[in-house]
Parts: sequence; C-alpha cells; structure tokens
Amino acid sequence: MAEIGELLVSAVASGCIYGLMALSYLLIIRPTGVINFALGEWAMLGAFAAVALGSDLLVPALQLPHFVSLVLVIVVIAAIGALTEILTVRPLIEKGAPLLSPVLALLGVLVISLQVGTLAGGTEALPAPPPFGFRRVELGVFAGTPQAFYVIATAIVVFGAAWLFFERTIWGKRFEAVAINRRAAALMGINLRAVGLLAFGGAGAVCGIVGVLTSGGSGAFYQMGLPLAIQGFTALVIGGVGRVEGAILGGLILGLVEAFAARYLPIPSSLVLGVPLVLLILFLLVRPTGLLRAREDGI
Amino acid sequence: MRNAVCWGGALVCLSAIGFAMSSYHLELYQKLLLVATLAVGFNFLFGISGQIAFSHIAFYGIGAYAVVILTFKLGLPLAVGIVGGIAVSALLAAMVAIPTTRLEGFYLALVTLAFAQLLLVALGAGGELTGEDEGISGYGLPDFFDIPLTGAAYTPVIVFVLLMTLAVILRLDNSYFGRACRAVRDNPTAASAMGIDVARTKVIVFVLTSTLAAIAGMAYAFVNNFISPPIFELDRIFELLFMIIIGGTGRHAGAILGAVLLYSIQFLVEPLVGKFHPLIYGFVVVLVILFLPKGLIGVWDDIVARRRRAAAPGKPS
Repeated sequence: MAEIGELLVSAVASGCIYGLMALSYLLIIRPTGVINFALGEWAMLGAFAAVALGSDLLVPALQLPHFVSLVLVIVVIAAIGALTEILTVRPLIEKGAPLLSPVLALLGVLVISLQVGTLAGGTEALPAPPPFGFRRVELGVFAGTPQAFYVIATAIVVFGAAWLFFERTIWGKRFEAVAINRRAAALMGINLRAVGLLAFGGAGAVCGIVGVLTSGGSGAFYQMGLPLAIQGFTALVIGGVGRVEGAILGGLILGLVEAFAARYLPIPSSLVLGVPLVLLILFLLVRPTGLLRAREDGI
Repeated sequence: MRNAVCWGGALVCLSAIGFAMSSYHLELYQKLLLVATLAVGFNFLFGISGQIAFSHIAFYGIGAYAVVILTFKLGLPLAVGIVGGIAVSALLAAMVAIPTTRLEGFYLALVTLAFAQLLLVALGAGGELTGEDEGISGYGLPDFFDIPLTGAAYTPVIVFVLLMTLAVILRLDNSYFGRACRAVRDNPTAASAMGIDVARTKVIVFVLTSTLAAIAGMAYAFVNNFISPPIFELDRIFELLFMIIIGGTGRHAGAILGAVLLYSIQFLVEPLVGKFHPLIYGFVVVLVILFLPKGLIGVWDDIVARRRRAAAPGKPS
C-alpha cells in the first residue's frame, strides 16, 4: 500500500506537468486554431532561466530566492510568447494566410528557441536546487519528495486560475466566443489582437511555470523540449481540446498510465517509452475529440 | 522517345559527376541526391496534397532497416529483401494512413509524429535485429557483374532512384490524380462535391510517397553500409519541411532547389558562423514564411513574369 501511495504521488506529479503543458496548448488552440509545437522548447528555456536565476550554475552572481525567480521566469517566457505572436503569427493571420502558415512559422520558432537554449545553457543537464529541499514528506499513505507535492500544489493553483478565467471573467468568455466563431466575435467588438496576444502570453507563462517545476526535479536539459511537447499534446488529445478540465484529466491519465506501465507491465524498460505514444495514437483513432467535449451551451 | 533520351541523359550526367569527386565530396553528393529525392516526394505529400505528415523520414528509415534486416540478418536474397522492404513500408504506410485520413486539421501531424517517435523507440529496443543504438554495419551489396557497387560506382543507383521518384511524381501530378490532390488540399468539401473520393486520394498519396521515401532509404543503406537510429531522428523532418518551404511549397523545382540550397549551404555557412548555423536557419525559415510565402521559386517566377511584361508592353498583364 505504501509503495502504491508513493508511486501515485510521483505519477500525479508528472501528470500535473503534462496537464500544464496541455493547458498551454489549449490556451492557443482554443481561440486561434493554431497548434504551437514550440511550447516544449519554451518550457526548456524556462528551465534554463530558472537555473540561471535561482542556482549557482550559469550565472553564479544571481541566486535569487525561488519565488522571485519563478515570477521572473514567468514574465520572460510570457514575453517570448507574446513577441512570437506579434512578430510571426499575427502578420500571417491578418494577411489571410492559411492556418498552416503560422503552424510552420512556429516550427521555425521551435528551432530558434531550441538553438538559443542550447547556446545559452549548454548540452549538459543542469539541476536547479528544489525550493523545499530533499526531505521525504508523508501524508498518510502518500509519500514523496517535497518537489512532487510542490508540483501538484502549483498545478492546482494554475488550473484553478485557468478555470476561473474561462468561467468567471469576461476575457474567458471572449476566448470562448473567438473559439466558436472568429468572425462573429470580431463583429461583436471583441479585439482579436488582444485575444491572440493573451493566448500566446498565457501559454508562455504556463510553459515558464513548467520549466521552473521541471528544473527543480530532473533539471534543465537542452533536449527536454520535445518530450514535453509530445506529452503535452498527448494529454490534450486524451482529455479533449475543448475544456480546461480536459487538459488536467488527460495529464493525470497519461502520468498514471506511464508510471504504472513502467512499474507493472512485463515489457523491457526501453519499450515503456512507447506507451504514451501508443496511447496517443489509440486516442486519436478511437476518440479524436477526447474524453471531455467542448461545451456548446451557456457561453 | 525524346523523353527517354532526356531521362537517360540526366542519368548519365548526374552519375558522371560522381566520378570526378574525392571520396569525401562523393559521399556528400550521394546524400544530397537522396535528400533531393526525399524532398520531391515530400513536396507531393505536403505541398501538393496538403498533408502535414512528420513520418516521411521515418519511412526513409523503415526502408533502410527493412532491406538490411531482410537481406543480411534473415539471409534472404537481395531482390526479395528489396521487394519485401517495399511491401513492409507500403503496408505500414497504409496502416497509418487509412485510420488517420478520417481526422481533420493537425491530427495527422500528431499521429505521424507519434509514429516516428515510436519507430525510434522500437529501433532502440530491437535487440540483435536492429542493433539498438549502435545500428547495423558490416554488410554490403554483392558485385554487379564484377563491379563492386561502392564509391562512385554506386552513384548511378542513387541517381536512378531520384529520377524514378521524379518521373512517378511528375506523371501523377500531370494527371487527373494530381489535380484531385490539389483540390483536396484547397477545399476538401468542394472536391468531394465534384466526385473526388477524398479519403481514398489522401490514402493513395500517403502510401505512395511514403513508399518512395522507403525506396530512397534502401538506397541510403548502402552509401556507407551503415545505418543507425540518429539518422532518422525528428530534426531531419523539420529540415525537409524547411527545404520545401524555402524552395517553394508545391513546386517540384522549388523542392529540388530548396534541398540543394539548404543542404549545400550548411557546408559554406558553418565555417563562417560556427554553431550559430541552425539558429540562422530558423530565422530564415520564419522570414521566408512571412515575406516570401511562395518561396525562392516564387521570386524567380516574379522575375520571369516581369521580364515578359517588359518584353511585350501594351498588353495588359
């Protein structure tokens, strides 16, 4: 029982990371229809930024307190997201280019982000010190590192905020309106530019959080972006692109399946890497809308 | 007849170039020809049919591994290995394409991305059969009428694969099928209303171009007589995509231009800017998408059109 409790904590913590990545995809896909493959690399940039700001590696002079560096990283990566929107996505959308063009341009941004991260951070994995140390925390049968509980708590806060944003604020309604009918939304006086900017900025902010959280766990590594990108959209496909709850549900399912497959499936560990990919393909084929459908009433 | 002479001439000329090269340049030249082959096929899949599939390089790898495993690990005759490799690739492509054509938007990209990653996982866990991370080496083609098929003597095989791919693609593009593909890309609903079977068209294009990529992969397997997983990694599909975007999406000449340009430019630029080369590459791609949506071939078209207008003044353009 204790063993399962421990496995559950680490599985849920990775599930939360996947769910956060899914959320950042969702923030962009919902209003713009654009899938941004560069998000994983932005999380990588966030992880390196967290290492640079909060640890004695890269920039030893800084060593800021954890929450200061968290806020700074969020601001920096959100700014990268917003700049990307202004410089690449917006001109293409306003020119009336097919939806494919911004997606391809974002692949270019992916390469740029990956290279910037590699040049600035090097090719070695750099661990940031976990903000709450390496103790062992026990809550009944659930036990794990403080970092795991920190990840889960942060995910709860972020998803709570995202839920409030979509359900309780006028900006959330604007996102929904643009998602349902872009043209009609514009005619109703919704500022499409502001929505696009907010979508990319928000997605960047979430990636920044993911970067900070993973840097305290497995460390910052230049190749961490692609796995995060794939896990993120796998979680999104499982949960459904329509709703915030779907993103965290998909993330948790993915995290649990991955952890329990690695622990209990009688297959070599190198093949376990394929489990989430098989899950993604299965879901796309069997239920491409995901588990939760977009709400179409009560906007 | 004239056509046959043209193709034959191209085969002889492109092969002859290889004999004048040092072994280092020859290897690069052979790889360049293969990249151009991939670009022509991928352009038909992505540029002309509008399918964003990240699996083209994966099929290149499947072809290479299939022919090597069938022929040298399982000991089948080479001809059986080649036919078997083509069959395996076509079958896998059909297995990917038939269910995914039902999906809309960018889901094909996701499925093919997952498929490509899955292939890498499978290669890494294949034990003796795939050589795992080390790959497979130490095999070789049998002599062709006493000529060992290595070095420059192998170039004609690659040129043949390139020209065959080009011929198949051009023939298809200039037929009803090519127009159907463009219609499906631009407006599936309208295409379907015109009596085009959208799903069937998509599946045929995917299976055909993926199989062509697999054949190119088979040719690749004998360039160095060495294959390993990194050659088929995801970065290369981005490179291929960027080659086509920079050259000119949907244009055969653009695909070849992009492939030749981007492949050769890395050797010219790398000594100048060192490790900043991929970074510049990324910026160029973004700039091209923003300011030259038709790619370099579009610039050429504009120049030609302007010349023509200047040569024949008075006519409305």
